[in-house]
Amino acid sequence: MITIVPNDFLYLGPLAVLTIVGLLLILAEAFAIGKRRRFLMQLTVAGSVMAIFAAIYTWRSIEPGTQISAFSGMLIADRMSMFLCALFAGSTGLIAMLGAAHQREYDWQVGEFYGLMLLAAAGMCMIAMAGDLITIFIGIETMSLAVYVMTAARRRSRRGSEGAMKYFLMGAFASGFLVYGMALLYGATGSTNLQTIRSVLATSQSSSLTVAAIFMLIVAFGFKIAAIPFHMWAPDAYEGAPTPVTAFMAAAVKSAAIAGMIRIFVQALGGAIVPFGQVGWSSIFAIIAAITMTVGNIAALRQDNIKRMLAYSSVAHAGVLLVGLVAAGIAPEGEGLASVLFYLLAYSVATVGAFGVVVWIGNRDRERVLLSDWYGLAAAKPAAAMVMTLFMLSFAGIPPTGGFFAKFFLFKSALMAQDQALLWLVIVGVLNSMISIFYYLKVVMAMYFRDATGEFKPLNSGAVTFVLVLCGILVLQMGMMPTSWLGYLGV
Amino acid sequence: MSIFYDLTLSHFLVLAATLFAIGITGVLLRRNAIIVMMSIELMLNAANITVLAFSRGFAGQDNNAAYQGQAFALIVIAIAAAEAAVGLAIVVTVFRTRRHSDIDRLTMLKD
Repeated sequence: MITIVPNDFLYLGPLAVLTIVGLLLILAEAFAIGKRRRFLMQLTVAGSVMAIFAAIYTWRSIEPGTQISAFSGMLIADRMSMFLCALFAGSTGLIAMLGAAHQREYDWQVGEFYGLMLLAAAGMCMIAMAGDLITIFIGIETMSLAVYVMTAARRRSRRGSEGAMKYFLMGAFASGFLVYGMALLYGATGSTNLQTIRSVLATSQSSSLTVAAIFMLIVAFGFKIAAIPFHMWAPDAYEGAPTPVTAFMAAAVKSAAIAGMIRIFVQALGGAIVPFGQVGWSSIFAIIAAITMTVGNIAALRQDNIKRMLAYSSVAHAGVLLVGLVAAGIAPEGEGLASVLFYLLAYSVATVGAFGVVVWIGNRDRERVLLSDWYGLAAAKPAAAMVMTLFMLSFAGIPPTGGFFAKFFLFKSALMAQDQALLWLVIVGVLNSMISIFYYLKVVMAMYFRDATGEFKPLNSGAVTFVLVLCGILVLQMGMMPTSWLGYLGV
Repeated sequence: MSIFYDLTLSHFLVLAATLFAIGITGVLLRRNAIIVMMSIELMLNAANITVLAFSRGFAGQDNNAAYQGQAFALIVIAIAAAEAAVGLAIVVTVFRTRRHSDIDRLTMLKD
């Protein structure tokens, strides 16, 4: 029986704001005549800020630790989902600022970009709030379809269209697995509602249908977060896409896929229901995590293109996040979930910042995406080299940056889970963090200890500078006062 | 030949699994982007057959479950259509810049 209570609409805040402003922006594109396009970006940022406020307002109206089921269980409103909505809206707003400068400089002024970005963010919010397989699917597709188009937004770029093609084909392939997995899970449990699935699985022997369903879902989400061996699209799509879109894919899309995994794996199929051994998604993910971190880091070592290197680094970060998810899945009373959410925050901020520097450094004559193009940046532009160093340190997990505490919390929660069952995984993770220091410091070395190969003519854009400064401050703030954020995570 | 008269749930599930396998094979083996997209559609439709077969199986005992499956199938159909539209648009942009849509020959981006 479907009943909709008027109260349910109160929890739609961020989702509704992002959708409405996104649709308005697509409409506004029709009226953006000539060069007056700045207001598109301003409207996007305004929409994101409104969505953040809506998320904060809703966050405060929800009691800690409660899950409010809205629209007959299709959506779940809890503090975690509101935190994630604010995170998605925040990265969307920052990346819109990068996008405006990038579009002006490289002359691909595609107005739909902004509208699609907000609609993608609305899809992400839906994933974060999802309480049903159907809403997870709608959210993932709303997000993915928008991002495919954004990847191909530079229509005349051969690299852009190639990256978009690979991204689309692999993404759609993954969607096939996702739907089939959901179909089997529905068949095994007789419901698409995650709560009902959980209670049905708790009282019955897990059938072969459930096992097949979980296998399909693992493949699907493996593609979405670019875990190895499902990562082959990621470096190509990241390199081919316009840099702001790459930032969006690396920060927001990956976080949203992790949010979907939290909803499906950790909350619906986790805890006492699916421990190690029985259906054991966590044992599969533990192995995938170890391989993903190792191969991702080793592949990143030999990249000389910054965007490609960051792509492999984001593959490696997906592996670290999987460690947290496994810990949260097998020990739901532990701090696994909180550490994953904090990691997403620290990782998103550093990613937006790092790609922000990549946007900032180039111009239409020389895009400067190769490592050798960054030689001598510190001498010419010390401030930019310093913030880039901060983001690299945060990625590598070196204090005093947010990335250090993110890795620390995450590995600590993994260590505490189930009598150190994940000790080997933590050791692999820590060893990998050491490997990753090599290639992050390669960027720092290039900026500080080499001679410039030409005069730097970076983008002259206040918005980009603002993004870099804000991300730099946040990275430092999270490194100095990490506990100030833990109360906001909502778990 | 009783299998033509007594169709059970398993027949539909086997049909769907076969279609899904054909879809995967098509994606992995075919090189033309359009045919790969057709294979992906096959995978989505295999999932839809599965959902609807289960939904029919639940009908009568648990109508709520049956309706959920039907709603899911409708949404999958709608989204598959949107996905095809976006995919064809991307194929067109690739074709415009290169005059082919052979995914094996997309080699500008690689390690």
